[in-house]
Amino acid sequence: MKNKFAPAVILVSILLASCAPSQSISPAPQAGRPRVLASTSFLADIAQNVAGNRFVVEPLLPLGVDPHAYQPKPADAARVAASTVLILNGADYEQFIQPLLENVGGDRLVVEASAGLTPRLSSADDEHTAGDPHFWLDPSLVITYVENIRNGFIAADPEGAEIYTANADAYIMQLQELDTWIQSQVDTLTPEKRTLVTNHEALGYFADRYGFTIIGTVIPSLSSESSPSAQEMAALVDQIRASNAMVIFLDATDNPSLANQIAKEAKVKVITDLHLESLTSPDGSAPTYIEMMKHNTGLIVKGCKG
Amino acid sequence: MTHTPHRLEVIDISIGYGDKIVLRDVSFQIPHGARVAVVGPNGAGKSTLFKALVGLLPLKSGRILIHGLDLGIHQDCVAYVPQREEVDWKFPVTVTDVVMMGRYGKLGWLKRPSRADQAIVRESLTQLGIADLEKISIGDLSGGQQQRVFLARAIAQEPHILLMDEPFTGVDITTQEATLNLLDTLRDRSVTAIISTHDLNLAANRFDYILLLNKRVIAFGPPKEVMQQENLAGAFGNSLLVMENGAMLVDECCPPDEDHPHEEVQHD
Amino acid sequence: MIDWLLEPLTYGFMQRGLAASVMVGILCAVMGTYVVLRGMAFLGDAMAHAILPGIAIAYILDGSLLVGAIAAAVAVAVGIGFISRGGNLKEDTAIGILFAAALSLGVALISTMQTYAVDLSHILFGNVLGVSVSDLWLTAILGAGILLTVGLLYKQFLVISFDPVLAATLRLPAELLRYVMLLLLALTVVVSLQTVGVGLSSAMLVTPAATAYLLTRRLWPMMLASAVIGALSSVIGLYLSFYLNIVSGAAIVLTATTFFLVAFIWKRMKS
Repeated sequence: MKNKFAPAVILVSILLASCAPSQSISPAPQAGRPRVLASTSFLADIAQNVAGNRFVVEPLLPLGVDPHAYQPKPADAARVAASTVLILNGADYEQFIQPLLENVGGDRLVVEASAGLTPRLSSADDEHTAGDPHFWLDPSLVITYVENIRNGFIAADPEGAEIYTANADAYIMQLQELDTWIQSQVDTLTPEKRTLVTNHEALGYFADRYGFTIIGTVIPSLSSESSPSAQEMAALVDQIRASNAMVIFLDATDNPSLANQIAKEAKVKVITDLHLESLTSPDGSAPTYIEMMKHNTGLIVKGCKG
Repeated sequence: MTHTPHRLEVIDISIGYGDKIVLRDVSFQIPHGARVAVVGPNGAGKSTLFKALVGLLPLKSGRILIHGLDLGIHQDCVAYVPQREEVDWKFPVTVTDVVMMGRYGKLGWLKRPSRADQAIVRESLTQLGIADLEKISIGDLSGGQQQRVFLARAIAQEPHILLMDEPFTGVDITTQEATLNLLDTLRDRSVTAIISTHDLNLAANRFDYILLLNKRVIAFGPPKEVMQQENLAGAFGNSLLVMENGAMLVDECCPPDEDHPHEEVQHD
Repeated sequence: MIDWLLEPLTYGFMQRGLAASVMVGILCAVMGTYVVLRGMAFLGDAMAHAILPGIAIAYILDGSLLVGAIAAAVAVAVGIGFISRGGNLKEDTAIGILFAAALSLGVALISTMQTYAVDLSHILFGNVLGVSVSDLWLTAILGAGILLTVGLLYKQFLVISFDPVLAATLRLPAELLRYVMLLLLALTVVVSLQTVGVGLSSAMLVTPAATAYLLTRRLWPMMLASAVIGALSSVIGLYLSFYLNIVSGAAIVLTATTFFLVAFIWKRMKS
């Protein structure tokens, strides 16, 4: 696994080395420390665990926003411009980032957290040509995220190499514990109860890892940004009726009206407060990535139990 | 016998749009059932005066009295026949629809037209000779027919004062005669008619009074008094040519230039 | 054949979707008659976006989003009336100005909000397949109210639309009536937005009425034809969505547009 992102790191290092010395970015707060921006809140949290005390990783998107639907503001361009390291999920997740990067200019290290991971194929054929980007909902894959981020930090700030490595190792252990914990929770469900119906195809990797079957999604897409036809809605109702599914799981940012109608028809419940694409505020139920996954797992297991 | 107030009294009014005054210090009185022609060059303020008489344009100063009472108090006293360009001929209404609108003032807010109203509408159409066009859309009418529809509407309104904005412009002789016949009928009913026109011949021969305007009242009175060289020069300025034999020619082409006030033509 | 017609109706969401889109289709078609005749064709789209600040404010104040939407729509309607009064500026100019202003205000308000519990862009606009029973009641009651008002004020609206000068001579309160009409339009837009979403509502406001305009030369039949076309487009569109797997909103709009094209060509061939 480690070999796969070596080329990425080398490429990035070359880019960095070829930077023109005169740049118009303002100096970092502490000499030599990078200014790090992550696209989403969960990425920022993961990266912060690697960065430790050396600097703060800021998220670009506000909390509670659906990244699939996000429209960047001029202030975002300014923040990207001022950053020296930008952490993205990759795999075409940040649809809005390309025009921002082109307009912003300057040089920064762009870390693609999912670099090296093989995307799963989805039944939905749409503009996410790079496949399903929702890797982070499988903690075992987030280990790769951590490694990519660690390597990026080391490249940007070689002085902190030891610290980043130590932090990464510690966090990877937490992720492994999380993975084990989730499996243990899921194991309390009998196999035929491990079914999922969600808003859009976000839980693909989660399903693969922990043995769930995806019955269907309200929006037949990897993104929340489209609408089903009447035929697709009817088909989903039929599929749900034919299966053991008892719940439709929605993210807190999703519009529940379609799901409500399907649920009424198929006589299942709707659970609306998963947090799949964003953290919550510190006093909410998902202030960090790990707690986010625990929260989601709890809801899923409880919902499937019936 | 108590003194009957003149049907229409205009006292020292000034009217305009925004900050611009188009007509100033206008005063005249029109008795019951009189037929008045309003003449003057383009831009003299004829349409503006009509808009004020209808209540569409607020007065900047002065008063308008009908039957001795302020204009604002009267409901549905004044009927207005618009210039043909002002109408949206593509609007999906029939002849009957348009004429029936004249009755709306009498109907009030919530009532539907009654049989009596329908009879009045039909009669108005017959008077104008267009009863057979009842169900035709107004867009399908000829120029003269369109004119008569609006005349019919004005009659259906049963007004005391009728205003007509250039009804003789661009219509055939038949329609012109029909209009004049109608005005005769209205006079018998003591309806006051105030008509703007460019046809000075018609104004001089078929009307009781002439109101000659050019941003103010140049003259008002019976045609013989008004149609004098001095008055016409005052109104038409250099568009007026006096020939050696005393004949006067008027060219109506252009609105008077504001920056060059018209000059008096010299008497010989 | 009957099975083919009945099968979609076995799904509750289809029944409600049909009912909602037919109601909204009729409502929009009748109001759309005025929109088309008065040259306010992009009012629907403009208002749909202009209600954004109302929703943002309602959200910040933790109030009902629907009330916020209605308040904003009313404010925009009054603003349009005010800016275009006296005929100095035409209504479509006023619409353009207010649309841009309101949209910018909405965007500015939303961008100052650092966190959301729900993403407003998803809550904002409905979907014809996501209509609940309470949505249906709301649509029915508001829609009936709007149509009743139009029926009562039919004569008055006719006069102010066709001949404002006559309105003056008849001593009609023309300005007040204009505001009332704009208000009814605003409510129509909000009702249809909540039920069928943004792309659909602005199309339903214009296309069926424009089609009816081609077919008839009288106002009352134009409204009737417009309503029938609006309702038919909804029904056919939803069936197409069901059998041909097309997104429902798009299917309805395309059906309405097809009706328009047919009428257009028929008219051309006649003359």
